[in-house]
Amino acid sequence: MAFKIASSPHVTQNLHTSTVMQRVILCLLPGLVVQCAFFGWGTLVQVLLAIIVALSAEAAVMKLRNRSIKASLSDNSAMLTAILIGVAIPPLAPWWMIVIGTTFAIIVVKHLYGGLGHNLFNPAMAAYVLLLISFPVQMTTWIAPSTVVMHSPSVLDSLQLIFNIGAHVNMDQFRLGIDGVAMATPLDTLKTDLSMGLTRTESMTKAIFDGATGVGWFWVNLAYLGGGLVLLKLKAIRWHISTGVLAGLFVASSVGFLLSPDTQGSPLFHLFSGATMLAAFFIATDPVTAATSPRGRIIFGALIGVLVYIIRTQGGYPDAFAFAVLLANLCAPFIDYYVRPRSYGHSTS
Amino acid sequence: MLTLLDQLDKGTLWRSHGGIHPPEVKFLSNGTPIAKLPLAKTYLVPVPQVGENCTLAVKVGDTVLKGTPLTQGNSIWHLPVHAPTSGTIVAIEPRVSNHASALPVNTCVIEADGKDTWCELVPNELDSLSHQQIIDKIHHSGVAGMGGAAFPSHIKLNPASEIDLVIINGVECEPYISSDDRLMREYSQNILAGIGIIYRLLTPKRIVIAIEDNKPEAIKAMQVAVAQSALPAGSVRVTVIPTKYPSGGEKQLIQIITGREVPSGAIPAKLGIVVHNVGTAFAIYQAVVQGKPLVERVVTVTGKNVGKPGNYWIPIGTPVAHVLAETEFKPDPEQKIIIGGPMMGHALANIHVPILKGTNCVLVPSNQEIDTTPDEKACIRCGECANVCPALLLPQQLFWHAKAEEYDKAATFNLKDCIECGCCSYVCPSDIPLVEYYRIAKSALKQAADEKQQAERAKQRFEARLARLEEEKLAREAKAREAAERRQATMTGTDKNAVAEAMARIAAKKAAVQASDNTANVVTTAELKDAPQGKAAVAAAIARAKAKKAAAANAEDSDTSNVVTVKVSDAPSSPTGAISQDEPLSQKDKVAAAIARAKAKKAAQQTDKAQLETTDTADTADNASELTAADDKKAKVAAAVARAKAKKAAQQAETKTEDSLSQTTTTEAESTSYTLGEVNADAAIDDAEAIKKAKVAAAVARAKAKKAAQAVLTTAEPNTASKVEVEPELESVEDSQTQSSLALPSAKETVDSVATGSLADVQSAKPTSEPIETASLSSDELKKARIAATIAKAKAKKAAQEAHASSDSSVND
Amino acid sequence: MSTILIAVILLTLLALVFGVLLGFAALKFKVEGNPIVDELEAILPQTQCGQCGYPGCRPYAQAIANGDKVNKCPPGGTATMEKLADLMGVEPEPLNAEAQSQVKKVAFIREDECIGCTKCIQACPVDAIIGAGKLMHTVLTTDCTGCDLCVEPCPVDCIDMLPVTQNLKNWNWRLNAIPVTLLQETGDKETMLEEDKRC
Repeated sequence: MAFKIASSPHVTQNLHTSTVMQRVILCLLPGLVVQCAFFGWGTLVQVLLAIIVALSAEAAVMKLRNRSIKASLSDNSAMLTAILIGVAIPPLAPWWMIVIGTTFAIIVVKHLYGGLGHNLFNPAMAAYVLLLISFPVQMTTWIAPSTVVMHSPSVLDSLQLIFNIGAHVNMDQFRLGIDGVAMATPLDTLKTDLSMGLTRTESMTKAIFDGATGVGWFWVNLAYLGGGLVLLKLKAIRWHISTGVLAGLFVASSVGFLLSPDTQGSPLFHLFSGATMLAAFFIATDPVTAATSPRGRIIFGALIGVLVYIIRTQGGYPDAFAFAVLLANLCAPFIDYYVRPRSYGHSTS
Repeated sequence: MLTLLDQLDKGTLWRSHGGIHPPEVKFLSNGTPIAKLPLAKTYLVPVPQVGENCTLAVKVGDTVLKGTPLTQGNSIWHLPVHAPTSGTIVAIEPRVSNHASALPVNTCVIEADGKDTWCELVPNELDSLSHQQIIDKIHHSGVAGMGGAAFPSHIKLNPASEIDLVIINGVECEPYISSDDRLMREYSQNILAGIGIIYRLLTPKRIVIAIEDNKPEAIKAMQVAVAQSALPAGSVRVTVIPTKYPSGGEKQLIQIITGREVPSGAIPAKLGIVVHNVGTAFAIYQAVVQGKPLVERVVTVTGKNVGKPGNYWIPIGTPVAHVLAETEFKPDPEQKIIIGGPMMGHALANIHVPILKGTNCVLVPSNQEIDTTPDEKACIRCGECANVCPALLLPQQLFWHAKAEEYDKAATFNLKDCIECGCCSYVCPSDIPLVEYYRIAKSALKQAADEKQQAERAKQRFEARLARLEEEKLAREAKAREAAERRQATMTGTDKNAVAEAMARIAAKKAAVQASDNTANVVTTAELKDAPQGKAAVAAAIARAKAKKAAAANAEDSDTSNVVTVKVSDAPSSPTGAISQDEPLSQKDKVAAAIARAKAKKAAQQTDKAQLETTDTADTADNASELTAADDKKAKVAAAVARAKAKKAAQQAETKTEDSLSQTTTTEAESTSYTLGEVNADAAIDDAEAIKKAKVAAAVARAKAKKAAQAVLTTAEPNTASKVEVEPELESVEDSQTQSSLALPSAKETVDSVATGSLADVQSAKPTSEPIETASLSSDELKKARIAATIAKAKAKKAAQEAHASSDSSVND
Repeated sequence: MSTILIAVILLTLLALVFGVLLGFAALKFKVEGNPIVDELEAILPQTQCGQCGYPGCRPYAQAIANGDKVNKCPPGGTATMEKLADLMGVEPEPLNAEAQSQVKKVAFIREDECIGCTKCIQACPVDAIIGAGKLMHTVLTTDCTGCDLCVEPCPVDCIDMLPVTQNLKNWNWRLNAIPVTLLQETGDKETMLEEDKRC
C-alpha cells in the first residue's frame, strides 16, 4: 500500500466538460424539432451527416496527434459543433457542403489551433462563413416554411436532394410559396424589398411574414430561446453573453427603428428572425472563444448584438451572426486585457 | 445611515463573492464528546515550530516533564515549544515534517515515560496581572493560531494600531472538520473566559463570535455563555452566518461581518480588526488562567476509513501513525491521508509525522468517499472558477500564465491575493488542479523576489566595498606621504638607509597597487616574509640591505624588486611574524602546517613556472639521503614523509613530463646542492629546538610536495589526487614526531629501509624522486628556521626567474 | 513663382516650429546617463563574480550596452541571457560557460581548517565573509552570492560551495518530486498498520 499525494482540494464537484456539452446538446433539441417541423427532414439529415463527419474527423486528428481518441470523443464537443453546423446551413444543401464545412471546423479551426480550449474562433461559425463565401447561392437558398409552402419535401425528397440522386426532384419547387412565388428567408426578403424601394410595412404584407416576424422562424427562435433558458437554469451557461447579445441587438435595432421605422426592421423582427436565439444561447456562449470575465462577457455579447444589427442592415448578407461572432472572437483577448474584475482588497482604480 | 457598530449589533451580514457548497460530512465526527487517546511511545516535536531564532533548551538524554519548554529565544517572533508529555529526549535530529513537502525538519524525539507528569503550573489570578504580564504568559505558553495558520497569538494581541472589532472565528467551513464545533459545545465558558482576556488586552468596541448556521448546538452554547459572561452587555455577540465555503477565511469573514475588504498585502489590523479562532481563545484561557502551555489540542479524526471517528485531545507532537492506530484505521491499498480539511489540507506521504499546533483534522477517506483526482483535461474557459473565486480573481487567466511559466504575467493578475481555498479546482469541469499550479507559481515568484532582493543587496554591498577600498587606498597614500615627510624632516639626510627605505616604501606601495595581480611578485614577497622568522635583527639587516638595493632598482624600472623591498622593510616593524620560535609547540605546528599548505597552493597556481619549481624541489635529492642517514630522529620524520611520497610517486609514474623532469633533476641538482651543503655545515644541532622545528619543516615539506605534485600533473585532473596525498602525509609526520622523541629502536630500521628506498629512487632518475627529496629538505631545515627560510627564498626567486633576485639571496646568506 | 515662394516659406516655418519643439523636448526630457545600462544591470544577478571578464556586474552591463555579447553570465543562467537578449534586441545564444549547474550555491568555510589568513575576505566582492587575521572566518549565507571568488584564494582549500538546500520556506511545491513510500518496505515501524489490515 502507498500513500497518495495530491494537491488540495481533494474533492471536486461532479460536473465535467462532457456533461456540460451534453446539456447544451439536449437543450438544442427543442429548436431542432421545431426547425424540422417547419423546414422538413433536411435539417435532421444534415445534423446526422455532420455528426458522423465531425466524429470521424476528430478521431482521425486524435490518431494523428497520438492522443486518446476516446477521451476526445467523449467530451461531446465535436458533436456539439456538428449539430450547430447542421442546424445553421440550409436544410436541402448538398451533402458535400456539410462535409466540407464540418471537416474544416474540426480539423482547421479547432485542431490546427491546438484542439479543444485553444481555438481562437468558433468552429461552427468559421465553417459557416467558409461555406457562405464559397457557395453563396446554395447557402442562401432556404426552402419556405411548411405552413406557407406549396410542396413540402418528404424524407425521400430531402435525401435525394441532399445526396443529389434522382433528377426528378427540383430544389426550386420547395421554395415556392402558396402564391406560387419563390420565397426567400424573411431577412432576405425584407432586405431585397427595402433595396427595391418598398417600405417596411409594404414588405411585411408578403406571405413569408405574419405581421411582425417571419412565418415559422418565430417559432424556431422561440424554441431555441426556451432551450437557452433551460441551459441558464442548469448553469451550463451563464447569463452574461446571451443577455449581452440580445440587449445589444435590441438596443441597436430600437434606435434604428425609432429613427427610421420605414426602412428598418422592428426590434421584435430582429430578435426573432434568422439565427438570433440560436446564436445568443448556443453559439456566442461557446466559452472557449468568448471573453472570460463576467463584465467582459457582457461587452462581448453586446458587441455581437450590435455587429449583427449593423451587418444585417448595412451589409451584403441577410444574416450576420457568423460574421459577428467571428469578429467578436477576434476582440475577445483585447476585451480580456482591458476588462479585469477588481480583485478582493484592491481599490477600484 | 447606520454606523458599522449598529450594523454589527443588528447582525447585518454582507455577501462575500463566490464560494461553494461542498457536501457536509461533519456528522461523521461531531456526534461524540471530545475524547482522549492513550499515550504514544514517542513524540516528535519539531523545533522550532514558529519563528526561526531560538536555541535548544534541552539536549539529548535530558528528562523533561510535560510542559517543559524545549526552546528558548529572545525574539518576539520566537514561540516556545513545550514537551507534550514527561519522558526522555532520545534524539534531536531531522525528521520528516508534517508539511506538504515532507522535507525533514529538526525534531526533538521524546520517549514518553508513561506518567505524563506536568511540570509545575502556576495558576494566575487574572486581575493581578498587568497587560504585559498577560501577553508574556501567552507568549511563553507558545499559543499560536489554532485555525491552521499557527501565527503567534501574542503578536496579534499586541497590535500597533487601535482595534475596534475582534472577530472570534468559529465558522469552521471545511466540510469534514468539527473540532471547533465540539470545543464550543463543551468548553463555551472557558472560551468566553479567553475572549474576556482578549477583550481586556485589546479593548475593542465589539467582539463578534461568528458561527456558521450548520452548528446549532455550538451557537446555542455560545449564546448561553455570552449571556452569563461578566463582560459589558452588548460588547460581545454571537453572529450566525450562512454556511458557505470559504466563509471561515479571515478575509472572507471580515467581509461577511463588516462588508469591508482587507487591502491587498495588508493585515486586518489596518482596518482595526483582529480575528482569533475559538481554539486560540481557549488556549489563551488555559495559558493565562491555568498557566498551562499549549501542549495539546482538539483534532478531528474522521473519514470512512477510521473506525472511531470523532474529536480527540491530542498532545502536540503525537505521531499521526499513533493517532490512526488508536482510532482503528483501515487503510485502502491506495490511501490518502489528509491533514486539515478536504479543501485545503495537504496529503501526507509519511504518517510518522507529528500533530502540530495548527493541525485541526486528520482525514482518512475511503476511495469511494474521495475519489482519485481524474486526469487534467483542456481548459474550456468556462469561467466557473471566476464565478466561485472569493478573491475575485480570474483563475483561468492565472492558470494559463502559470502553466506557461509566465509567472510575472500571472502576478499582474494578482496571483498573490489567491488564498488557495480550492473553490476553483472544486468547480473546474476539466479537473485541472488549479491550486497546485498557483502554488508552484507563487513559490517561483517568491523565489524570484528573494533573488531580486538579494541581488539588490549584493549590489549595495559591492558598491560599499568599492567605496571603502578607495577610501583605504587614499588614506594609505596620505599616511605614507606624511611619514616620508616627517622622516625627511627629522633625519635631514644623515641616515641614508632610513631615507632610502622610506622612499623605497612609498614608491613600492604605488607599484604594489599596480602590480598586485602579478603572481610572481606575490610569491616572492610571501616567501620573504618567512625570512625574518628567526630573528628580527637579522631580518632588519636584510631589510636594510634590500632597501638599498631596491632603492637603486627603483631608480631603474623593476616593479618586482620594489615590492620585495617594501615587504622586507616592513617586517622588522612587526616582530610577531607568522612563525615565532618562542610560541608553544602545538600552535606553531598548526601555523606551520598552514603555511605549508599556503605555499603549496601558491605554487600550484604558478603553472607556467611549474617545471622550474619541480626541479627546485628535486635538486635537494642528494643531500636528502645523506642527512637522513646522519640524524636518526629527524630521519624518522623524513622517512615517514618519504613513505607518503613514495605512494604518491607511484601514482605519478605515468605522467607525460616524466622524461623532461628526470633530466632537469640531474642538471639542477648540482647547482643547489652547493647551497644546501653550506647550510648543513652551518647548522647547530639543538635537539629540543629541532623537534619543534621538525614540524615546521615537515609542513614546508608537505607544501613542496604539493607544489611538485601539481607541477608534474599539469592538467587539472590530478589536483584532487595530490590534495588527498597531503592529508595522510600530515598524519604520518606527526606520528613520527611522537616516535622520534621516544627514540624507538625500531625507528632505525624504518629509516634505513626508507633511506635506501629513496636513494634507489633518486638513482633511477624518475620523476618519482622529487617527493623524497622534499622530505630530505625537511630534515635539512630542522637546524634553523632561518636557513630554511633562505632556501625558500632562493627558490622563490628562481621561480620568479629574476636574475638579480638570486644574487640578492646569496647576499643575505 | 509665388506658389514656390509660399511653399518655401511654409516649409521654413514648419522647420522652425519643429526645430523649436525638438529643442524644447531635448531640454525637457533630458535623460542623464545611459538608461539601458541601468536596465541591463537590473537584470544581472549581481553576484559580482567576474566570470564575464569584467570586474562586477555594472561594468558588464556597460559592456553589453557597448555591444558585448549577452551570454557571458553563468550565474544568471539561460533565463538572464534571454532577458538581456530581449532587452538588447539580439538573438539569444547559448551560454559561453557550460551550464555546470544552475543550482544556487553558497560558500561554506570549514571552520576548524581555517587559518585566518583573510585572503577570502579580501576576495569577497560583497563583504559576505567575516573574520579577522588569525581568527576563524565564516560566511554570511544570506549575503553570499555564490560567486566562487573566495575558493581560489584560500591557501588551505577550506571553502566549499554548497548548494542551497530546500526548506519549508523555499520549497517549490513540486509534489511529484516527493518520493512515495511503500509501507511494506519500511519494516517494523509499520507493524501497526500491518496489524490494522487484519481488522
